[in-house]
Amino acid sequence: MCAFGAVACVLALYREAAGLGPASGMNDAYAWGIWKTFNIMVLTGLGSGSFAIGIAVWIFGQHRLHSVMRTAVLSSFLTYASGLTLLGIDVGRPWNFFSILLPWRWNAHSPMLEIAFCMPLYTAVPLLIENIPTALDWISERWPELDFIVFLLESLIKRIYPFVLGLGFLLPAMHQSSLGALMLLAGTQVHPLWQTPLLPLFYVGAAAFMGFAFVSFILLVSHLVWDRPIDIDVLCQMSRITAWIIAPWLALRFADVVLRGNLPLAFQTTQPAALFWLETLLLVAAVALLLRANRNRSAKLAFLASVVAAVGGMLYRFDPTTLVYQPSASASYFPSLIELAVTAGFISLAVAAFSLFAKVLAILPAPTELWYAMESARTLAWMRTKDYAVTEDYAAAD
Amino acid sequence: MKVTRRSLLFSMVGAASALATDAVVPTEAHAKETAKAPENAVAMLYDATRCVGCQACVSACAEAGGLVRDTQVDSPRQSARGLSDSARSIVKLYKPADGSPISFVKQQCMHCVDPACVASCMFRALSKDPVSGVVRWNPSRCVGCRYCEIVCPYHIPRFQWSGINPRIVKCDFCQDRLAQGHDPACTSVCPTQAVVFGKRSGLLAEATLRTAKNPEKYFERRAFGEHEGGGTQVLYLSRVSFDKLGLPKLGSESIPAKYLKWQKRVYSYFLAPTVVYAALVCVLRKNWKRHQAHLEENEESTGLRPQL
Repeated sequence: MCAFGAVACVLALYREAAGLGPASGMNDAYAWGIWKTFNIMVLTGLGSGSFAIGIAVWIFGQHRLHSVMRTAVLSSFLTYASGLTLLGIDVGRPWNFFSILLPWRWNAHSPMLEIAFCMPLYTAVPLLIENIPTALDWISERWPELDFIVFLLESLIKRIYPFVLGLGFLLPAMHQSSLGALMLLAGTQVHPLWQTPLLPLFYVGAAAFMGFAFVSFILLVSHLVWDRPIDIDVLCQMSRITAWIIAPWLALRFADVVLRGNLPLAFQTTQPAALFWLETLLLVAAVALLLRANRNRSAKLAFLASVVAAVGGMLYRFDPTTLVYQPSASASYFPSLIELAVTAGFISLAVAAFSLFAKVLAILPAPTELWYAMESARTLAWMRTKDYAVTEDYAAAD
Repeated sequence: MKVTRRSLLFSMVGAASALATDAVVPTEAHAKETAKAPENAVAMLYDATRCVGCQACVSACAEAGGLVRDTQVDSPRQSARGLSDSARSIVKLYKPADGSPISFVKQQCMHCVDPACVASCMFRALSKDPVSGVVRWNPSRCVGCRYCEIVCPYHIPRFQWSGINPRIVKCDFCQDRLAQGHDPACTSVCPTQAVVFGKRSGLLAEATLRTAKNPEKYFERRAFGEHEGGGTQVLYLSRVSFDKLGLPKLGSESIPAKYLKWQKRVYSYFLAPTVVYAALVCVLRKNWKRHQAHLEENEESTGLRPQL
């Protein structure tokens, strides 16, 4: 993983020296390559777990899901951080970015400004602060003599936490919708099955279910890779919520296509029509699988379902920028090897960082059965030494 | 009024559905949201029926911009394949296969009245001159995000794909020459006056005059650019249909007015986000207090430091 990351960094240096042309497959018609259209448009959708699950937990009182919040906030932070770093490599004249500090230079109606402002702010403030308590736990365990600092910081965080959480929900709602709004201005160049004034809404909706699906995916992968116990109750609850986000989302998407009179376009033998049905099929399958996984309490099905849901969402978020973005008949774009390697490298870095943190810190949840079975504080203390993030939820009360 | 979770949810759903129906159901063009050209806006009128394809304007343009002329030729007319970072203006030949009349077409920035590129540019690196209406690029503000290339309906802006200091290249209406009192390079060298320079209002009148005089000669007896996409400051007259010359079919509403309508409303004065944030914090503080109480209970029963 780190080797991939190192290769990506070397290639990124080459891009800085040689310019974007030699390093990428981008051209004047397809001016955005996968660094923007995949690493930002798609992967930050997957990284919306902290936003989506956070709202379920803190607004809608799904207290069970407190146990997966640490996984969610860490994965969100890492996807955003790696995406934004890559964005810095993708832009041609990054030294002018300091204008973000000069409000009189802003074009307040540009969706791009909203993203450029919101995304780094979200990563640097709410996401970072939400990750601090995990680090404090670790410090307090390793160096108990530093407890007074930990205590000080913790009480400070407790005081500002509701305000931070509020930002942590508002900012992603804004920039995830603006990612959709970006493609509004491309007008008729985006295929009419995708181009709609509701594009911003669909992008946030997709981010919501992709966030849930991706966190389920992470939990299940770490269950497989590290042989962690899995909390099937929490998983079922997440599957249920994901299904209930996707279903109305799909219904709204269909209503939009029908009301705008674009349905006939879906029955042509064109690539966009095929993609439209592929997306629909994936998401319908995802709903069915998620509900089934919930009914059968099956981790295997939940794994399949979360992958299908995530891929469906990823495809939806990728299409308008690349596959159904048709600036001219003659132009085409396929990412160069360097682009692919850098993208893979930055993803590897995020995965490597996640594995490291998950091993060192108490990130991954312990199953609630353990909570129920726990008779004394000693069990809890034992779990802490094994780096379980103990669910401080309302399990006992439920 | 006390904000509860339920009332918040209901009001959010209500607002969203109101927005949604309004956005999906097509409404009357919002004329007042479409910008008007400045009174003294400069313009070019390109009459394809007069153009002989001599490429003098292309050479003059390259010279004025200090660019090396692109010689990747489409012989024998020596025309560049397309606009590029070394060709801000080109003349291309439209030659139908069925032997019907040919036509040349000049391509360069259209200097839209309400340009999508200006609306998209986050730090106003692309801006519209308030007097002349020229769309110009400011190198000290451009971040190189290439959003302008994505949104331009005419595919005009070009990015320098090589080098460590890439620029956005497009026609700037020869701003420097205008400041010195000269006409733009292309219009000043045209031997047949196929492309002429003037005020937009004057050239629109001129176009009307020409189409009235020779109605059979001009496609649709009108100039492209009077209303297209909110209007442009480069006007086209042609014998063949405009789409054959590569000019897109756009409604009369400008792209920012048409597509950014709701974005602008949602973010106007930052009111909606502020209200949402306030409501979120109200609910969150309540829930946070409840959560804290629960954590303290747990701490008492287990004697362990609660996790956040």
